[in-house]
Amino acid sequence: MEETLGILWSYRREFLDGLRVTLQLCLLVWPIGLVAGTLMGIAGARWRPTVGRLTSGASFVLTGVPTLVFLFWLHYPLQAMLKVVIDPFYTAVTALGILNMLQVSDTVRRALLDFPRQFVKAAHASGLTAVQTVIRIQLPILFRQTLPSLLVTQIAMLQATLFASLISVDEIFRIAQRINSEVYKPVQIYSALALLFVVVCVPMHGLAAVLREKYTRDYSER
Amino acid sequence: MLTGTALHKQFASAERPALDGVDIEVRAGTITTVLGSNGCGKSTLLGALALLDPIDSGSITMDGAPYRASVRGLPDPSPWPTVTIVFQRLFLWPHLTVRQNVNLPWAASARDANERFSEMVSRFDLGGLEDRYPNEISIGQQQRVALARAVALKPKYLLLDEATSALDVKHVTSLLGLLKELRSEGVGILLVTHMIGFAREAADHVVFMADGRIVEQGGADILAAPDTPELSRFLAVLEPSVAVPRSVVDGEMAS
Repeated sequence: MEETLGILWSYRREFLDGLRVTLQLCLLVWPIGLVAGTLMGIAGARWRPTVGRLTSGASFVLTGVPTLVFLFWLHYPLQAMLKVVIDPFYTAVTALGILNMLQVSDTVRRALLDFPRQFVKAAHASGLTAVQTVIRIQLPILFRQTLPSLLVTQIAMLQATLFASLISVDEIFRIAQRINSEVYKPVQIYSALALLFVVVCVPMHGLAAVLREKYTRDYSER
Repeated sequence: MLTGTALHKQFASAERPALDGVDIEVRAGTITTVLGSNGCGKSTLLGALALLDPIDSGSITMDGAPYRASVRGLPDPSPWPTVTIVFQRLFLWPHLTVRQNVNLPWAASARDANERFSEMVSRFDLGGLEDRYPNEISIGQQQRVALARAVALKPKYLLLDEATSALDVKHVTSLLGLLKELRSEGVGILLVTHMIGFAREAADHVVFMADGRIVEQGGADILAAPDTPELSRFLAVLEPSVAVPRSVVDGEMAS
């Protein structure tokens, strides 16, 4: 452990650079997925036969394609076909952004379609206006229903940023590999990397679990 | 008066209409009870009269003003909560406590919010449940919260779908007293129930439905001496001890 922390400290600048790139990836992939995915999910629920089918179809197909294959396909064959060269960082952002967007869209669309309309009817019958119904009833329930899933999806996206190392993006995993090639201390270096991910991902997983426990209520009769 | 005229509703998946030319009136200061077997159209009728579920044809008027619930958009002007409903499956908002469920629709604009909520707690025996969530209380307690939510709105027309189904004897008796009290305050009540004794005790007017139609209606005395074989059979099944003319049942069966 001491040696692991020692290596972390010695290569702190490199690790921080890698972490910065990983965070930059996340800071683009997360909002792209959450904003565009939410809008797409709403559109998919609103125009179910057209947008809904299109997005769920795309999501269905892409979930069958491994993330790495999709990333490589965008990086090599597609760019070769189009005769363009795109910075690998942005290729990674595009690939992960699309995947995140489709997953978020799926979560939001399903939550909207499965939303019990009777809660809305009860709100109308109680005299709440359409706006009050959305703000006080629909959004809080939808938020509670989707938040844990969305959080888990974002954790998966953070972990998927590691694939970007394979198309030469200098994110944290690639930095760890580079340091290891210099000092050859795989146990310590990859333990340090694992430690970093544990520090970031475990609290997020914990938060998702707490939210799920708190908001996924048991509706069974007592 | 809340009036439904020639109400017709056909669900796509059903062979026969859920409502087939139903005419019904709910007068202010009266209790009307709707009886009928499962699937006869009682809940559909309540949803239509509450203007929450669209009908295929027919008209609904409230105090003379015509309304039409549509699939898109809300009726304008809003009929709610002048008319309100307690659903069979309650639909308390799961993210709100008992207090918030009861208070949300009106507390922000009511000066007497605390008093009114305290009155509801007392009327519906909700003491100690105020800060619990719906999933933390029993189904009978949930039913009382749903009733409190509706009554706190001070509706002019109150529609109740199986409002006694999860209540114990004490609370059924208490609800009976409350409905009579509301009636005396001028509230028009339409009540779907399977409890014949409750209907007999509470109703000014009884409506019996079968296959989406009103087969028989009249005062509570029709429960003792039904005119139609359908109501006779229904009562005989629900309450065998009731004095149903055997000749009616036998005659119908023979035919």
